[in-house]
Amino acid sequence: MSAPTRSPGPTPSILIVDSDVISRHVIADYLRHCGYGVVEAATTDEAITALSEASLGIDVILCDVGAIGSQPAFGLAHWVRSHQPQLEVRLAGSLEGVADTAADLCESGPHLIKPYEPEAVVDYVKQLRAARNRARET
Amino acid sequence: MHVVKEALDAADSRPARLLVVEDELLIRMLITDVLRDAGYEVIEAVSGDEALDLLKAGVVFDLVLSDVRMPGSTDGLALLAFARQNLAELPFILTSGHLAPEIALAEGAVGFLAKPYGMHDALAVVEQEVAKLR
Repeated sequence: MSAPTRSPGPTPSILIVDSDVISRHVIADYLRHCGYGVVEAATTDEAITALSEASLGIDVILCDVGAIGSQPAFGLAHWVRSHQPQLEVRLAGSLEGVADTAADLCESGPHLIKPYEPEAVVDYVKQLRAARNRARET
Repeated sequence: MHVVKEALDAADSRPARLLVVEDELLIRMLITDVLRDAGYEVIEAVSGDEALDLLKAGVVFDLVLSDVRMPGSTDGLALLAFARQNLAELPFILTSGHLAPEIALAEGAVGFLAKPYGMHDALAVVEQEVAKLR
């Protein structure tokens, strides 16, 4: 059974920019669960490519401050202000910040689903990272 | 019983979880949209290195669709080799504009898509392989 939607309008889309695939995919899944369309970018360069593609219809950008690319996250924010000032940019300086911002977006998201706690999201990312790091050491 | 089969047995009704590994953003957007619209759960990696990170973190997948030539230290063939050693039953479909299909299959891929591929063709190949898992 699908969740009821808040509004009949087009699905809002979020561009998530995060160079850590583990946190990126967990946050992206979280936002999709809340009903958003999500575009994932691993670098600020990919983000600009995505933003230059009008068909992707991005409304909000959620960017980890540590995202890599030919320009830093603040450079991406500056680019957006210059080229697409109508877009909302949210920068987050930590995993906890990204999760909290995603939770805020979910509170006003298109689906009437209570978002799961951002702390659970952070814990899950940390578990995956720990498992990855252990595997890397062996 | 291998982890992939266990995951499927444990939750028969859940959608198959696919890992799509593709460095070209627009191709990745297109194929992941098609696969999600078809009902699959899709996790994206932009490189073989990212895909390796996900596999090493223990994220369970039912199938991998991976490009071969990608930036970083892990190309599609190296990713496939890692999976063959550590996740023997995880099926791989390779995509490439350069690699011969016979080589992909000889290396252990279960399917191959020559680039540029049509999205319907890609979906058909994925559906065919996922059906074998059920």
